[in-house]
Amino acid sequence: MGRIRLESLRKSYGQVEVLKDINLEIEEGELVVFVGPSGCGKSTLLRQISGLDRPTSGNIFINENDATNVSAADRGLAMVFQSYALYPHMTVRQNLAFGLQNAKMPKAEMDERISAAVEMLEIGPLLKRRPGQLSGGQRQRVAIGRAIVRDPTAFLLDEPLSNLDAELRVSMRAELSALHARLGATMIYVTHDQVEAMTLADRIVVLRAGKIEQVAPPITLFEKPVNKFVAGFIGAPNMNFLTLDDVQPVLGNVGVPAGATMTGIRPQHLSPAETGLDMTVTLVEALGTETVIHGVLGSGATILVTVPGHVKTSKGEHMTLNVDPAHLHFFDADELRVEAA
Amino acid sequence: MISNEKTTIGAVLSAPVRWLAEAIDIPMRWWQGIAGRPGMISFFLIPNLLIFGMFVLVPLFINIVYSVTGGTELFLSDRSYVGGAHFNRLLECENHFNPNSCREDLFWIALWNTIKFVFTQVSVMIVFAVITALILNGKIRARAFWRAVFFFPVLLSPVVVGLIWQWMLQRQGVFNFILFQFDAQAINWLTERTWAFGAAVGVSIWAHVGFYVLILLAGLQAIPRDLYEAAEMDGTPPARAFWRITLPLLWPNLLVVIVLALIRAVQVFDEVYVLTGGGPGTSNLYLTQYIYEVGFASILRNPGLASAASLIMASILVVLTLAQLGLTRWKDKK
Ligand SMILES: Nc1ncnc2c1ncn2[C@@H]1O[C@H](COP(=O)(O)OP(=O)(O)OP(=O)(O)O)[C@@H](O)[C@H]1O
Ligand SMILES: [Mg+2]
Repeated sequence: MGRIRLESLRKSYGQVEVLKDINLEIEEGELVVFVGPSGCGKSTLLRQISGLDRPTSGNIFINENDATNVSAADRGLAMVFQSYALYPHMTVRQNLAFGLQNAKMPKAEMDERISAAVEMLEIGPLLKRRPGQLSGGQRQRVAIGRAIVRDPTAFLLDEPLSNLDAELRVSMRAELSALHARLGATMIYVTHDQVEAMTLADRIVVLRAGKIEQVAPPITLFEKPVNKFVAGFIGAPNMNFLTLDDVQPVLGNVGVPAGATMTGIRPQHLSPAETGLDMTVTLVEALGTETVIHGVLGSGATILVTVPGHVKTSKGEHMTLNVDPAHLHFFDADELRVEAA
Repeated sequence: MISNEKTTIGAVLSAPVRWLAEAIDIPMRWWQGIAGRPGMISFFLIPNLLIFGMFVLVPLFINIVYSVTGGTELFLSDRSYVGGAHFNRLLECENHFNPNSCREDLFWIALWNTIKFVFTQVSVMIVFAVITALILNGKIRARAFWRAVFFFPVLLSPVVVGLIWQWMLQRQGVFNFILFQFDAQAINWLTERTWAFGAAVGVSIWAHVGFYVLILLAGLQAIPRDLYEAAEMDGTPPARAFWRITLPLLWPNLLVVIVLALIRAVQVFDEVYVLTGGGPGTSNLYLTQYIYEVGFASILRNPGLASAASLIMASILVVLTLAQLGLTRWKDKK
């Protein structure tokens, strides 16, 4: 069991409203990722769910029970902190056991749970060490282990990988994904790394300034962003936003939806062609697997193109670009997505 | 690169400053002539070493000489050598736990009083300091104000502390006035043995606790907040969080605080002396006061005996200081 429902959740610190009317339903066993720019309220939202902080108004339901005023300990959730928050004076084993001892669990059951988690995370050789004697990745495992032994209703993870180096982050990401599949537990994962979000999530919640912009599976988010903000936030490099006039040459006989004032084209969806948009190259970034080309259109609008493999071009040269009309996004004056009827 | 052009500092400065600079240069040049360029380091060190020597090494030397010589004379060369006689006199006892059986009974009374004072004062003060630091570290109103309130007495001169409390505790003082309001009997705070000891301990705690609260507060603030949040998620009751998380993480600071407090308490003197004059009787007579009175204040001045006593006390302090240094080093390594 691990259903979580948030109903018109609001949180203010003094005059500042940090969370504005959050409504969200998380299914059992789902891995939901909160993403959004720094300061948008991801951690705050997670803290309301965890019980470490109380919302100003609104309700939190865990397995259909109103948990809004239930203490953090009694919500049955486990949290993995960005800083790991391991008890520095205790050994790894004591760290794992601490929460279970609080619950006065019989020793046999405690040992069983600890050894199961230890085996799953392969931290057996570390049990007698203290956190100070562990590497970042090892600490991360122990922190996750501390959550696992409690057998929680759901796991809450606040940027758990952000203190690791890039390589370790990739491998831990894969491990977390495997762990989620194996445990089948509900997980809420906060990150501002959109690659993490895209690779891990069953569904992504995009937050901006304390409001949910869109909740959708990663691919839906990529293909059908509900507004310009989500479109620009998901996908790297960022989507190109151009006026209808700018893209006139490639619109051809594509029907422009009523009300559209702006188009969005992902850099990956532009490709060199015989006819189309005329771009003057301003910068070429050759990454080996792909080439990112920066340029300006006749109108002065800047544009980014990524082309697979290596492309021979240089500053000042002209390129003609075309786009598959199926990959054109349209937005109206309110920056909302509009689609052809 | 330094240019070859001569722009000495003297050319820029006005005449009086230049003269002063040149005057200082004279001994510096003279010293460089003797010690060479590398030896100039000692030119800057010597003033400090002289001060250290004058106020620490020389008195220590005089103290040792006094302790092995007899008589009431002050000039060292006038004094006659007596060897360890003063130490023997101080330490001679039939039963060391009964000062009355000792030749120098006042010394033993002072010693036992000091031990009793040190244990009472330090243990009560540390508990109080920890509790105060915990409260001041929490979410309370006007936190900065309360921190200042607790630290304020530390800034007062001990004599002022003694006088303030004497006014408040004397027979017609504010404490008895309060008791009077409740129709209770007046208490002889400073002239009844038990109360006077309590008053000495209390006043001394009041005067010093702020310093230790400050150190402990720094230690508490160094404990990451998210450990407590992790503990909260783990369902840790507050008392268990204190014993299992706060206390172990505060322990290094706490040990240093305890040893510092011990060192200070062994040297108890000024505020208590002003408060009670060591009385009633000998109930508040402590080692420092004993030394002071034997050496300077009594009719039968005996600087040799006082010096011997002060060396015994110094050896206690040396042990405590070494313990403190060791602890600090251990704490920094952790
Ligand atoms: N205790 C607090 N008191 C006042 N304001 C707060 C408090 N905690 C957070 N805020 C504010 O709430 C907003 C959201 O903070 P939050 O930590 O949730 O952001 P975030 O999305 O997690 O950002 P990041 O990606 O940088 O971690 C910020 O503007 C922050 O300044
Ligand atoms: Mg955050």
